[in-house]
Amino acid sequence: MKRWILVLALLMGVASAQDDSLKVGFIYVGPVGDNGYSFAFDQARQALEEAVPEVETMYVESVSEAEVEAFIDQLVFEGSDIIIANSFGHGDGVLAAAQRYPDIIFGHATGVERAPNVMTFMADFYQVYYLNGLVAGALSDSGKIGYVASFPIPEVKRHINAFALGAKEVNPDAVVEVRWLYSWFDPAASNEATEALISQGVDAFGFTEDSTTVVQVAGARGYPSFSHYASMVEYSPETVASGHLVNWSVILIDFVEGVLDGTYTSENLEDVDYFWLLEQDAVRMGAAPDMPINPVYEEELKGYLVDHPEFGEISAWDLVFERLEQMSTSREEFDPFEGPLYDRQGNLVFEEGEIPTIPELLSTQWAAENVVGPWEGE
Amino acid sequence: MEAEILISTIARALAFSAPLIWAAIGEIFAERSGVVNLGVEGMMILGALIGFIAAQSSGSPWIGTLAAAGVGGAVGLFHAFVSVTLRANQYISGLAITIFGLGLSGLLGRSWVGRPLLNSFERFDVPLLSDIPFIGPALFSDQYILAYLILPIAVLLWFLLYRTRFGLVLRTVGESPAAADTAGRSVTLFRYLAVTFGGVMAGIGGAYLSLAYRPSWSEEMTNGLGWIALALAIFATWDPLRAVGAGLLFGAFFTLSFRLQDRFPPELLTLLPYVFTILALVFTAVGRGRRAFGSPEALGQPYARGER
Repeated sequence: MKRWILVLALLMGVASAQDDSLKVGFIYVGPVGDNGYSFAFDQARQALEEAVPEVETMYVESVSEAEVEAFIDQLVFEGSDIIIANSFGHGDGVLAAAQRYPDIIFGHATGVERAPNVMTFMADFYQVYYLNGLVAGALSDSGKIGYVASFPIPEVKRHINAFALGAKEVNPDAVVEVRWLYSWFDPAASNEATEALISQGVDAFGFTEDSTTVVQVAGARGYPSFSHYASMVEYSPETVASGHLVNWSVILIDFVEGVLDGTYTSENLEDVDYFWLLEQDAVRMGAAPDMPINPVYEEELKGYLVDHPEFGEISAWDLVFERLEQMSTSREEFDPFEGPLYDRQGNLVFEEGEIPTIPELLSTQWAAENVVGPWEGE
Repeated sequence: MEAEILISTIARALAFSAPLIWAAIGEIFAERSGVVNLGVEGMMILGALIGFIAAQSSGSPWIGTLAAAGVGGAVGLFHAFVSVTLRANQYISGLAITIFGLGLSGLLGRSWVGRPLLNSFERFDVPLLSDIPFIGPALFSDQYILAYLILPIAVLLWFLLYRTRFGLVLRTVGESPAAADTAGRSVTLFRYLAVTFGGVMAGIGGAYLSLAYRPSWSEEMTNGLGWIALALAIFATWDPLRAVGAGLLFGAFFTLSFRLQDRFPPELLTLLPYVFTILALVFTAVGRGRRAFGSPEALGQPYARGER
């Protein structure tokens, strides 16, 4: 009899110990092995577990938009207190599930709609695309820089614009030629878009899509490109010049700690929207985490001199790091879109000294002056 | 300048359509014997993965290609077993292979993501042929070996299909298995051979993707190319040589859809290759009647002696 009580007490002890931990369930749109978006997300999950000892995590991968509610049910069943979904397309499912589970806290990466128990968060690359643009502008001999883009949505347009403005700052004649894939993942299309640009004289590449194709195809011809989300330098060690890397963990840690100390509850998330940048270390510049700029290009960038209105004569290399430092301090220090800024149709987008607000950034439809190619909704 | 654009369009059409043509020619053989194989996409993706693993492990893209051909052939053999020996529904077996292949390759390939292939196939110019004006730079320069092999293989297989006794029997098996059976030919044997061969070719098509075109592995990297190969087989009216032409035409549309984006609406251009495919299929199907286009009469029907 006593023994039974002991076992029962032990079981309850275990159960209550489990209850003490905060369970965070993650839903990834891609496989963790995609070496890009979901891979970077899973790195953050691991960093969160390490940084906050009270947290226990679990994840499901390759969850499409249609399946997201079923997987939320599963994660709730397994005891999740917080559920994080990582794709824009998960939004509708997350909001629906949030109504069914009002006590569960949801986080939606890249999302736009919130609820009392749904917060949204974003680590945005536009500043880093601008830095990559500085590098591309200096490395391109022809002044024609290519951009292989997924969909003409504000996020992608914002990044193309920042990239183009960077290129223009070091080479006033540089243009950015855009080709649209209308897909997030289509390696053959990305391959042919890159080859088409090469045949039209492009010799440096930026891109937004979920594969390493541009890096590999441009690299095979010897043209520089940039890592996207995670390091892609292994795919073409001699040509990945720099890149934009995400560090979701700072956002996740901040939020989860807020939940633990009671700042964030399932009732007050309506206005919680992280839009974190270089300043918060949510994004970083680099071909790889320990390689801000590929040493292969160091000499060329140090030898490329720009007569700069702000810094005087300065090498492209130094300019990149000056700008990185400014933007890492604050948006007020320097912003790639600071006015006066005109779009390619000649309209004034931001006035003298004006720095775009976050909502203005999120609704980018204009095209920078030196962007060439079709542009929906301009 | 105009000639230059044309040349590079043809060259890119070949580079892009090479895997499609490999798989389409294989499918043509399977269908000529009377067996539809909707598993091409699954066979290609398994070929891409297994070829990649073998090349990565052995250091040789050729061993990778052999492994891809082997796995494609093995899956083809399975499809033959299900559709010929068990006489199950070929469409369902093929679909199952595609779904299974995509899932299995994703699972097995997990640890191979993010490991680019350093010993991939290299592009080269074909000696002598690449010096021919126009044709040389368009078709014999700056491609991978698996792209160059397409033309000789298509010619060889065309000859096999139309000019040899083996080809005659194979076509008879697809047109009228009872007649072939009466003549003492094993319908089962020929169908097994043709379907397995189709798998081998689809596997090699997959290997082209992961060992040459973009030497790396990522999940679902075939991204529907297997289905286009199926459509090409029909559009080519089950003729290996026409499959080359049809593939190049489709490839040209595909590459032009990116080349012309600064002049035409890109949404329409990216649809172009697929609209072309659908139109081609419709045209082939209803244009001049099924028979005139050479669709094998017994396509999709399991054969059992004495049944009709």
